[in-house]
Formats: sequence, structure tokens, C-alpha cells
Amino acid sequence: MAEAGPGGGGGTRYRGAFHPDTWEEELEAIPMFMKRCPAEIDAARQPELACLQSLLFDEEQGPAELARMYKNEGNEYFRERDYRRAVVAYTEGLKKKCEDPELNAVLHTNRGAAQFYLGNYRSALNDAVQAKKLKPTHLKAVIRGALCHMELKNFSEAIAWCEEGLRIDSKEKKLVEMRAKADKLKRAEERDARKAKVMKKKEQCQKEILLAAIKERNIKLVLEPSNEEEEVSGGLAEISLDGFHSDNATGAKVHLDADGNLNWPVLFLYPEHEQTDFIAAFHENSRFIDHLMVMFAELPPWDLERKYLPSNLELYFEDEERTEMYELNAEHTLLQVLQHERYFVKAGTPTVLAFVKRSPFSKKYFSGKKVHRL
Amino acid sequence: MLETPGMAAKEKEEAAAAAELAELLSPAAGQAAREGAAEAALALSGDAAGRRLLVGQPAAMAALLELAAGPSPPAARHALGCLVNLSAEPAAREPLLAALPALLGLLPGGPACGVLANLCRERGAARRVLRGLREGGPGLEPLLQALGQPRPPSQLGPLLCNLSQLPEGRRGLLDRSRCSVQRLLPFTQYQDSVVHRRGVVGALRNCCFEYEDHEWLLSEEVDILPFLLLPLAGPEEFPEDEMERLPVDLQYLPQDKQREEEPDIRKMLLEAIMLLTATKAGRHTVREKGTYLILRELHRWEREPAVLAACEKLIQVLIGDEPGPGMENLLEVNIPEEVEQQLQSLDREEEEEQERWRREQEERGSTPRSEEPSR
Repeated sequence: MAEAGPGGGGGTRYRGAFHPDTWEEELEAIPMFMKRCPAEIDAARQPELACLQSLLFDEEQGPAELARMYKNEGNEYFRERDYRRAVVAYTEGLKKKCEDPELNAVLHTNRGAAQFYLGNYRSALNDAVQAKKLKPTHLKAVIRGALCHMELKNFSEAIAWCEEGLRIDSKEKKLVEMRAKADKLKRAEERDARKAKVMKKKEQCQKEILLAAIKERNIKLVLEPSNEEEEVSGGLAEISLDGFHSDNATGAKVHLDADGNLNWPVLFLYPEHEQTDFIAAFHENSRFIDHLMVMFAELPPWDLERKYLPSNLELYFEDEERTEMYELNAEHTLLQVLQHERYFVKAGTPTVLAFVKRSPFSKKYFSGKKVHRL
Repeated sequence: MLETPGMAAKEKEEAAAAAELAELLSPAAGQAAREGAAEAALALSGDAAGRRLLVGQPAAMAALLELAAGPSPPAARHALGCLVNLSAEPAAREPLLAALPALLGLLPGGPACGVLANLCRERGAARRVLRGLREGGPGLEPLLQALGQPRPPSQLGPLLCNLSQLPEGRRGLLDRSRCSVQRLLPFTQYQDSVVHRRGVVGALRNCCFEYEDHEWLLSEEVDILPFLLLPLAGPEEFPEDEMERLPVDLQYLPQDKQREEEPDIRKMLLEAIMLLTATKAGRHTVREKGTYLILRELHRWEREPAVLAACEKLIQVLIGDEPGPGMENLLEVNIPEEVEQQLQSLDREEEEEQERWRREQEERGSTPRSEEPSR
């Protein structure tokens, strides 16, 4: 035998000796001293390991023995938190279809646990169910199943599984606690359902009041074709708020204020410059001229010719059905305009067109249409 | 009652007939005869006189007990029914208790619960039954688990209530290492059986005497308060800010919500909540969970004087000032002699008033309270 001298280095080395610099890695390569099993075994580079593996998983052994091997392998991976490989190992064990229901129950339970930690709650639940079928008194399977139901928010089933487990061991702390938690969450869920029902009813009620107010004022609505179906109570069925708000990008809706007045979202169009203005809540009793004063207090940037003064504007609405234009009296209120016999509110948003008085553009716009002036 | 010669003869006749019946019940008589005899015994036990006759025949009692546990279902049913009726007779107590192991073996069957419930109205018997359950092994666990059945026996509630009149009975129901009292809670709203519901509420009320467990009972691990309040709550809508203060189970109740119909059960629920307000911490929790809101609405709706009184008392506690130092736990306060006497005479007056009211109820034809255990 060679000896390394106290000064290190030099000296003859025996065959198969470790190199002083890489001895740790070389030690790691020997199966007996491995701290961690390599994920893949390459038979060419690690012949000893491959040899051992084939010994362990020799098909000549009975299925129960093999299943047990796979179970142990799975457990190893599980301990190292390599849940994916654990699942693979347990699956292999189950594939052996050994005749031992207890062992299979354990394989299912353990695989279920691994699946659980991978977040595959449905698969985990399946495994728990299988395990319970094979061995109904396997408490770990019952606990796992209950935990899965909790994650899947099936609180009633979670409680039922806890009860089953408590029949096996009435003092199992995890089950007692889980049952209390599941019960609490279930009752919260029930409350949420009740609340949703009440809120929906309230909303429905308010919609009906709104529709009644609109109808009372003899304001006519035009429906947007819409794919949604909304339930409306029988009496007001001919007018629905279906598609009422679809065009309104801001989501502003007509609403009743505390004094019982309607406030509408109103769109002002300026066809000459392809511009728009949007008033989110136009009180039905306020006049157009008052709004124009505010809107055009400063001339808009697109008004290069500086013509859009409130006194210089004419307001119209278009009767699309007959392609006729009607001039509005700017000193009228919104309500008066909406009640015009040819005015139809489209998509829940009244629209008004503004032109500069006697402008060439407006002449062109009106050509071919019947215009009703004031 | 003057005895006439005719009566003495009649009694002798009846006793002889009863002895004959006892013989027909005995194992020697053969199955068909026993079945018939059991049916006859059941019919006989329908009235007090018949019951006394049967109790006077120890052999009959023993035979009935044997039939109850026996293999023939029709005979067992008749025998059990007869035993349930007999168990209401004080004279039957000893013979039945002597056969306690056999009776316990029949649990959690409905009739067995009925027999034991009647027996346990008396404290001494209750003590023996509890000991028997403990020595037999599982204690109250099989009874608690029976609550989880789709249709628990209606006598289970009264049995648990009567067992809870003893501290050891309450200990069993308040076992924190198990799911114990939690199993009782859903039954405060149980519609299928008034008897069962009354028993459960009674048991819960008795449990509330254990003030060391109040914090646990009011905590999320048990959460007893909503279950006591739910039967007292009606369909009234609360504004949103009040609604959000209530426990989750009491929020957004549907418009067809009914209150508990039985006044005595309403009273017991109020008493249970009152007990929970004995400690300062308990008062704080009960107040904080919006109990006053429910009681306010109950007070508007309530018509029965006894229940109104209990409701008012509880509202006083909730909205009144905190008691002074040294009085934090109202169950532990030392009451001076004269005050004690005053309170007792007030209590007597109140009881008399309630007796009057109860008698009025009976005359009007409503069912009298049964199986109210002594506290």
C-alpha cells in the first residue's frame, strides 16, 4: 500500500485510489456513499448503480415485493419533496396490481398526498376515494379526502368525510378542527348565496322603478339587438334595459336621483369635425343652453375657425327611421326634447347633433333630408 | 277511596291475569305466544293502571327486557314500546336500572333512548346511566354520532337534556377533544320533531351553566350564539350597516323565515343566552355580535308574558351599564342575606304568575310541557 507523505503530493498511488483534489466527487459516485440518488441512471457511466437497480426491481420478484419497493422509492422522493417523481413511483407500484389491498391503499393514499402538494386536488381526491374503497378504516386516506374537498370548496363533502373519519377515531384532532372550519366556511357560503339573492332582487326592483319612470314620461326607447337575455317582470316586458347601455363606453347609465328626477348620459356630436362631447349625468330639467355655456366656455382645440360659440350653434336630432332632422330649441330642457314625438332614445344614451348656424357643412349634411326647423 | 268487596275481587282478578301474562312472556312460552303476549303488554301499558299491574310483575319486566334485545323484530318492537311506557312509572325505575347494561346495549335505538330519557329525569338514575355509559367504554360518543344520522331518534334530544342536568353529563357534551356539542347545534332549528328539538335546546341551555366553557362556546370552534339566535330571528330586514354586524348565519334571512313556535323553547333559548352573559367577556362578545338587534325585533313580535319577561331581562343586560368591580362574573357573586330573600320572594311571585298562565294554556287545549328535567 502506498502512503501519502506528510507533505502531501508525490508518492505512488495504488490502483483505483482517489485523486486528492477530486476525492469528494469520486466518493459521491460510489453507490454506497451516495448522499443523493441521481435522477437518471446512465448504465454506461454508472454501471454499479444500474446493476443495483436491476437487482431491486427484478421482475422475478413477486408483485407485492415490487410494489413495496416502489412504495419505498416513492416515499423517498416524497421526503425530498420531489412530488412528481413520487407520483411516478407510486403509480408504478400500483401498476403491479399486487393482491394486497392494504399496500394498494397505502400507495393510493401516498400518491394522493403527493398530488395534493402538486395542487392536483381532483387527482388527489380520486386516490383518496380509491384508498378508502380498499381500506375503509385507513384514516390517512379519509383525512386526505377531506382536505381535498376543502381545497375544492366542497364544504358539505368535507364535513361528511370528517364525520366518517371521526367514526374511526373520534378524537383525531385534524378532523375535529377541519370539521369546524368546513362548517364555518359552508355557512359563510350559504350567507353569500342569500345575499346575492337579496341584492339581485333589489336590483331588479330598482330597474323596474326606473323603467316605470321612463314610461311615465312617455319617453320612447329603441332596443339594441343584443345576445344577452335579461329577465324583466311581465308588466314592463315591452321595454327592456337589455342592450340599453351597450354603446356607452364609460358605463354611465340613466338613473333616478333622490328627488325623483332622471339624469341621462347625453352624447353631443359635432359631425363637421367628427368630435364628440359626453355629459355623464344630464338632469332632465336642465336646459341645453346652460350646458352649452359650460361646455363652450372655452373654445375647443379642434375649433380652428373659432365658430363654436354657444350662441352660434344649432342643435338637432335625427329621426333615423325617416331620415328627417328636427331642430331643438336650446332653451328647452332635456325632458322636453326626449318627449318629442319623434325622439327615440337609442342604447340608453340620448344623442344630439350640433352645427354652426348656417354653415356650408350643415347645408351639405341636410341635403336629401327633410329638416324641421323651429 | 272506600274499598268494596267487589273491588278487592276485581283487583285480585287483574293481578292473576297479569301473572298469566307474565308467564306467556317468559322464554318457556314459545315464540308465537310471546309475540302475542308482548302485544298485549303494550296495550296494557297504555294507561296508568295497566302500567302498575305490569310493574308489579318482576318476571314480566325481565321477560320484556329480554324480548326487547331478542331476535324477533315484532316481539322486540312491542316489548320496547311497552318498556318506554313503563319507564314513566317511578316504580319501574329500579327494575329497569337493574337491567341497565341490556338497555345501554340497545342504544342508540329510538325506544332505548326513550326508556333512558324517562329514567334520567331523576338525578340518581341519570348518574347511574352516565356511569354505565362511561364504564361500557364509549361514553356519550355513540349518542353524539347518532345525531349525525339523517333521522335521529326523537327521544335522543330529551335523553341528552336529562343527562345534561348533571355536571358529568355536561362534561361529556363539552368535550373539546371531540366534535361534541357542535353536533347539537343544527338541531335548534330541527322541524321534524318538537320533542327532539326541545331536548336539544334544553341540553344546550344546561351546558351554558358551565361558565368556564363560555369563551370556547362563543368562539369559532363551537360558535353557539348564532344557533341560539336563529330560532328567535324573524324575516325582518335590517339596513345594511346593521346587517353586517350580525353573525353570518343571521344575515339576509329569507322573507319566509319563521320564529320558533313553542314558547317554552323560545324561553330556554333566551335563558341560554342570558347564561352566556354571566361573565364580562361573554357579555362583550354577545353584545358585539348584534344580539340586541335580534332581541329588539323579537320583543316587538312576542306575545307570551314569560318569554317577554326573559327577553326584557336579557335586553337590560345588553344595554345596561357594566356591573361594578367584584361583580364581573354574575354566577359567582355573593348575594347578601336580605337581598337573597327579597329575590326569592320575587321569584316565587313570578312563578305563580307563570303557573297561572300555564294553566290557562292547558285549559285552552294546548299540549302541556313534558319531559322538562329538573335543573
